[in-house]
Amino acid sequence: MLKKTVIDHLRQKVGAGNVYHEKEDLLVYGYDATPEITGFPDVAVFPENREGLRAALEVGREEGLAVTPRGAATGLSGGSTPFRGGMALGLTRMNRILEIDEENLTLTAEAGVITIDLFNAAAAKGLFYPPDPGSQNVSTLGGNVAENAGGLRGLKYGVTRNYVMALSGFLYDGTEFHAGNKCVKDVAGYSLRDLLVGSEGTLGIITEVTVRLINPPQDKRTLLAYFKDIRTAGDAVSKIIAARIIPATLEIMDRTTINCVEDYAGIGLPRDMGALLLIEVDGHPAVVAEEAAGVQKILEEVRADVIRQAANTQEALQLAAARRTALSAVARVSPTTILEDTTVPRSRLAETFAEIERLREKYGLRVATFGHAGDGNLHPTAVTDERNREEVARVHAFFSDLYEKVLSMGGTVSGEHGIGIAKKGYLLRQFGEGGMEVMRRIKKSFDPDGGLNPGKIFLDEGVSAGVKIPGGTHG
Amino acid sequence: MAEPSPAGHFHPEDAPGYESILQCMRCGFCLAVCPTYALTNRERSSPRGRAALARAVAEGKLEFTPAVRDESFLCLDCKACSTACPSGVRVGTIMEFCRSQAQVFHPPSLPAGMLRDFILKRMLPSPALMENSMLPARLYQRLGIQWAVRSLGINRFLPGALAKMEGILPKLATPLRLEIPELIPALGKKRGRVGFFLGCAMSLVFPEVSRQTARILSQQGFDVVTPKEVKCCGAPHLAEGDRETARRLARINIDLFLALEVDFIVTDCAGCGCALKEYEELLEETADHERIGRFKAKVRDISEFLAETGIRTEDLRPVPLSVTYHEPCHLVHGQGLSVPPRQVIRAIPGVELREMKESNWCCGMAGSFALKELETSRRILERKLGHVRATGADALVTANPGCHLQLAWGVRELGMKQPVLHIVELLGKALPQ
Ligand SMILES: Cc1cc2nc3c(=O)[nH]c(=O)nc-3n(C[C@H](O)[C@H](O)[C@H](O)COP(=O)(O)OP(=O)(O)OC[C@H]3O[C@@H](n4cnc5c(N)ncnc54)[C@H](O)[C@@H]3O)c2cc1C
Ligand code: SF4
Ligand code: SF4
Repeated sequence: MLKKTVIDHLRQKVGAGNVYHEKEDLLVYGYDATPEITGFPDVAVFPENREGLRAALEVGREEGLAVTPRGAATGLSGGSTPFRGGMALGLTRMNRILEIDEENLTLTAEAGVITIDLFNAAAAKGLFYPPDPGSQNVSTLGGNVAENAGGLRGLKYGVTRNYVMALSGFLYDGTEFHAGNKCVKDVAGYSLRDLLVGSEGTLGIITEVTVRLINPPQDKRTLLAYFKDIRTAGDAVSKIIAARIIPATLEIMDRTTINCVEDYAGIGLPRDMGALLLIEVDGHPAVVAEEAAGVQKILEEVRADVIRQAANTQEALQLAAARRTALSAVARVSPTTILEDTTVPRSRLAETFAEIERLREKYGLRVATFGHAGDGNLHPTAVTDERNREEVARVHAFFSDLYEKVLSMGGTVSGEHGIGIAKKGYLLRQFGEGGMEVMRRIKKSFDPDGGLNPGKIFLDEGVSAGVKIPGGTHG
Repeated sequence: MAEPSPAGHFHPEDAPGYESILQCMRCGFCLAVCPTYALTNRERSSPRGRAALARAVAEGKLEFTPAVRDESFLCLDCKACSTACPSGVRVGTIMEFCRSQAQVFHPPSLPAGMLRDFILKRMLPSPALMENSMLPARLYQRLGIQWAVRSLGINRFLPGALAKMEGILPKLATPLRLEIPELIPALGKKRGRVGFFLGCAMSLVFPEVSRQTARILSQQGFDVVTPKEVKCCGAPHLAEGDRETARRLARINIDLFLALEVDFIVTDCAGCGCALKEYEELLEETADHERIGRFKAKVRDISEFLAETGIRTEDLRPVPLSVTYHEPCHLVHGQGLSVPPRQVIRAIPGVELREMKESNWCCGMAGSFALKELETSRRILERKLGHVRATGADALVTANPGCHLQLAWGVRELGMKQPVLHIVELLGKALPQ
């Protein structure tokens, strides 16, 4: 419990309506979308501008509070959960779009702006901001930058990092930083900007972001392919990439996912199929025609069971929207969904599917798999019940084995969701002590007091009683 | 759903099902559609936050505190989050249960409680009492205000609430229930026999609208049976947390309409339709699922019914009007009916439908919310009317008495030109005299 004087002080500095300390508020600022993980802050503060944020940080420092930045809390690795209590620092009230620079094709916004609002603001000027995580209707730009979020268009257009030109904000000790600019080229000094992208709120608090905008594609075409056997779908993906066709979107859903999504969206997905690929090619009309034909040919070669084209834009949009609901829809089946973020070189996809299937059987689990197949990024999702500790233990063993295999294939333990709390153990396995030591030194140079988002990323930091660190036993 | 799991700090009777709460995986998809979150940007006033509060109570981590009660009443029960939630969580329903818990943990003060009991347990269940000369319209209005103000403890809004209550209710005419014939025969080629569920608000406040509904049904070739013994659908009781009376009313209505041997049970009140369709859940504990299922299978909203049976358009006269359509929460989110009302509007010759932005966003009425949370309600309404204005349409069409009152009040307050019409009033204009 914080002293009343501290709360009063915060209220005075940040505005009374922007500071919460009642239990009912603190409870709901303890979670994000990650199962099994919750924290409990001592206070939650939502500054409306940089000055308010600076003042909140100052109070935090004076009181020795841990500070955990929080966007929309849609994170899937526990990044914004205030693991050590202290201050939950919400960015959602700093959500203005500050500038659209049509000469330099950039947009500058406060970190709390919602991804889709940014997208729409750009679209209103005839411009295009491609990163589109499944959570885009709620996630914040700051959260996207901090997690280096991907999305459905990642394959062709890249991830959030590819669009961030400049960042500003504060370090825990109050130092203000401005990293990057609107220049297309810039090699001055170390690239602080690139260190901050994907830093999961452990290095600095981002208050403003300038992103690059591009021209929207002139044309697009959406194809759907259904497969009885998911491995054939994996094969199709590898072949499309090997044929050097780069669709904007190349998404996969397995049978369980198809059925859950269909239960929610009711758009006529094939319930009896083993897998579905959602493929979108876009660009110049001539290229679109050529690539669509190329994709069609490969799908025929691998003998996809059904190949069809979306009838119109509306159907295409509906399909993409349905795909975005996959994770939450899978949660219909059972109260807890534990999802992973395995990513492999794309030539190894079919093998990865086979391994998921083998391990699923070995551990006797229900697993739904979907993901950004074109990126080699899969989200095998165990549907379980967190009250069933025994089954949950099997789930963690399943993922532990799977990551062993993924790492042996040259894959990574996280394609886009970050490490946070959930994957600390796995990160150590991927990087070894040496890699972790370099990261630790980077963290120290940004945040020598260790006050910003403590307990994340590093295994030795904050393994507190009662919190199970998946994968932690192997490393 | 209702698995026997410990209710934690909930009172075991009428506690929200733990499984239904646990179903929330905290993805946050619902944040984008929740009117109270949009206004407050406060997580506990969001669907995800409300589900988490309920979960904390169910798991014994939080008492049923006044803040939990307040959140359950601040929730509009607009069900927009149910539509948005891919996991099938229904936070509005969970909050209905919490309102019933609130009566246990934070009962209203004695006189206010008696008044509330009188309205919910005596007056609403008994149409005759509502309509009786002992309770003339003005007194009824007064009672309504006092109930809202006193039993729900909102004294600080007193003058505003009184003014709005006075302003929002039109002059009351004779209730339709007293005038409508028990049977109105089908015109033209007969297509079937429907039971007309005449809701309290429609009968008392919008008798002319429901008169159109009956006229349309008959003109479309259906015998219209309107039983006088109909009871309140129970929605106000659920909203105020009186599940027991709601169950009693549901049983009476089921018996009444099944005995009529009608093909369909049609209503022109989105709130009633939603409640009728949820009787099965309300009476989950009851054994009689076959009959309840049979009842439910017959219930249709008027637009749903017309779209499904096909509108006979031969005799319709053109109505040269541009309209925009506000979707009542209890139609779009509560019953998943978004297309049928538009089909009906488009079927009317001469009518041009101009879509407004966020047509499925709550108007801020939400039962007695508009009186309890004046300021919040007004801000939600202004957002809505801004979108209405932008369409430049001649008229604003909706399909629920609550929305109708709120929108009509807002239009008057802001000096806007659009009259508010129930969808059947619009269709009624096209009917031959
Ligand atoms: C259904 C669903 C689908 C998803 N789909 C995708 C997907 O397709 N691709 C993908 O990459 N992710 C996806 N995610 C994960 C998640 O939405 C992203 O990681 C997103 O970027 C998080 O944004 P947020 O605003 O919710 O951030 P939060 O969850 O609030 O925070 C995430 C991290 O960022 C930090 N942070 C937040 N704001 C700031 C700031 N201003 N400064 C510094 N640090 C900050 C937090 O401390 C935390 O560590 C999905 C999640 C869900 C629930
Ligand atoms: S209620 Fe549904 S949409 Fe909202 S957070 Fe929970 S699971 Fe997601
Ligand atoms: S029912 Fe409406 S007001 Fe209540 S939580 Fe859901 S969206 Fe919000």
